[in-house]
Amino acid sequence: MIEKTNKKVVEENKNIKIVHDATCTFCGCVCDDMELHVDVDEKRIIKSKNACVLGRAWFAEHTIENAPAAMIDGKEVTIEEAIEEAAQTLVNAKFPITYGLSDTTSEAQRQAVAITDYIKGNIDTTTSVCHGPSGLAFQGVGESTSTLGEVKNRADLVIYWGGNPAESHPRHFGRYAVTPKGMFTPNGKKDRTVVLVDVRKTKSAGVADILITPKPGKDFEVLWALRALVKGVKLSSDIEKETGVPLEILTDLAKRMKECRFGVLFFGMGLTMTRGRHFNSGALLALATDLNEYTHFVAKPVRGHGNVTGADNVVAWQTGYPFGVNFSRGYPRFNPGEFTTVDTLSNGDADAALIVASDPGSNFPKKAIEHLKNIPVITLDTKTTDTTKLSHVAFKTSTYGINTSGTVYRMDDVSITLRPAFESPFPDDEKILKSIKKRVHELILKNSHSGGASGEAKVAAAVNPL
Amino acid sequence: MALHLKLHTQPDVPLEADCISPDRMQSLKNNEISSMTVFHGNRQVKLGDFFDCKGTFDGEITIDGDLSNIKHIGASMSLGKIIIEGSVGLHTGAGMQGGEIIIEGDASDWLAAEMLDGKITVKGNAGHMTGCGYRGSSIGMQGGEIFIHGNVKNETGHVMRRGLIVVGGDSGDFTGVNMIAGTIIVFGTMGIRTGAGMKRGSIISFNEAEILPTFSRNCEYQPTFIRFYAKYLEKNGFLVDPSYANGSFERWSGDSVEINRGEILLSKHKNK
Repeated sequence: MIEKTNKKVVEENKNIKIVHDATCTFCGCVCDDMELHVDVDEKRIIKSKNACVLGRAWFAEHTIENAPAAMIDGKEVTIEEAIEEAAQTLVNAKFPITYGLSDTTSEAQRQAVAITDYIKGNIDTTTSVCHGPSGLAFQGVGESTSTLGEVKNRADLVIYWGGNPAESHPRHFGRYAVTPKGMFTPNGKKDRTVVLVDVRKTKSAGVADILITPKPGKDFEVLWALRALVKGVKLSSDIEKETGVPLEILTDLAKRMKECRFGVLFFGMGLTMTRGRHFNSGALLALATDLNEYTHFVAKPVRGHGNVTGADNVVAWQTGYPFGVNFSRGYPRFNPGEFTTVDTLSNGDADAALIVASDPGSNFPKKAIEHLKNIPVITLDTKTTDTTKLSHVAFKTSTYGINTSGTVYRMDDVSITLRPAFESPFPDDEKILKSIKKRVHELILKNSHSGGASGEAKVAAAVNPL
Repeated sequence: MALHLKLHTQPDVPLEADCISPDRMQSLKNNEISSMTVFHGNRQVKLGDFFDCKGTFDGEITIDGDLSNIKHIGASMSLGKIIIEGSVGLHTGAGMQGGEIIIEGDASDWLAAEMLDGKITVKGNAGHMTGCGYRGSSIGMQGGEIFIHGNVKNETGHVMRRGLIVVGGDSGDFTGVNMIAGTIIVFGTMGIRTGAGMKRGSIISFNEAEILPTFSRNCEYQPTFIRFYAKYLEKNGFLVDPSYANGSFERWSGDSVEINRGEILLSKHKNK
């Protein structure tokens, strides 16, 4: 009791700023109802009201570190020197790659696309290692979609497939899909049926009215069986032996799906990153499409990083494709499996890398990391990571949503403006990328005037308005 | 004497050499061929920077060296013959409209993607997406023949519309996925989810396979057409055991989530 009282007294004496309606950019929910209490003197957030456990940790951990803003080969340099070295490295590369982008603002993402276009490189985002298969499936099958606001107001059947939002997106249930009271769901959870499909019983199972646990790796077969049942095709009861789900359960679910007023399928990486990948996502999207013969049904991927949806959007509106895009011929080409970063690194294709707000050095396959160690890497990150440690040029940048304003996209493609809490001594990603872009442009023009570039490059450099 | 290209310098990043095609080279002198443009990563360079060019074009091009980092060889070709003495990189024969490619080693992914006509023979293995459509395309291979003596990986014949794919070894998952028509013959075993979403077409295997729940078993019979195929395959270098060709096959029809007019034929010979 005495401790608590003392703490309160200390807090009252501090220079506290309160930021209302701030946005948490930790996960794809991008909750924009935060109330942040900021210790202005110490430059840290001491309280984050409305945040979930993940959001509280996100706000608490982002303090100002005492570290150099720019380094070349581990030695402190000025930002200008680092920008020059980064630009030279990228312009001299034959197969430069840009990767990451899911934990930065859309304004910074836009600059990264422009740089990649100038250097005729290869751009890819963390989408390729999470919901990339869904991106392929959207293109192949199509997407019946809605905003999370529509889900909140209308959905009476909510299905989570291959995900554990209770631990990965803790406010997804309370803010968007399960318990909130909506226009046509005035009683909240009581007006909804919640189904969870996962190979194991997770913490999310607590909210589920129906829990379905197929055998591992059998999601495609279950989805395919549901498609058949929705279309009225009779199936053998052997389906239970194959998938682990009894035919009666599947028949009941198909009936509920057809009879609901507004259904939604939320799917996670338990579906997209298991055997079958884009065909698993495609099967789920096709099921949602089939159901629109009977009722209103939508499907949404539950996205992980705070602005990974923004990365898809920005890369798509600038190149025509969401990820895995190559500019080496001067125009965008899309081919996941060839131009996705795991492939360009594992195959030894890339000869320089620009990594923005991502840490492939800690989570990529060993072969890819080994190649990353052998090429010049330029990183922009708020923290010291395995990737920044192996970088040739490393920039320390400010954190989006905490120190930097800008735009991010929620998992349902709704754009949200950030309200920063306090200033950082480090520049933001957009500023660094803009400077690199400017210098890259100058170097390309210089090369073209000295006859170093092809005629095509000269034209591109002269007319490119980016 | 055939036109002979020999790789003298291994590219350090992928080389896109879609100019290596009889259509493009047939009327050129050797120095002109050496001056043809290829993409070395994002740089436009000359073919001669990587290949020595000898002989004269008589309808045939032979290529020597490890070509596993060289893409698009024979893409969109419509005539003549390319013989690749080793292994070759991505997109070989993609969009091919005629002629023939023989690969003595292995082929990589997207072999003969969206092929229209012609013939490709691979003596070794092939990668993913053989004879498929590119991402976003609703139609893959539309004609021609692909003979692979080794194994293939996933999505062989994805959205295939017409033509023949023969695999001497095993195939990966999703063989003939979303197939519209055409024929795929696999001598070895197939991975899971064969024929998922297929509309029409035939997938024939000389082994057992896992069948999706949306396929239904029709009958066991001895299809006559397989004997004709067996003779044709023998002409193309495959050894077909007569007891397979003349034996019984189990017929499954599907995919019932689509129009249910495709068929999977599985040889019963192995079970006897």
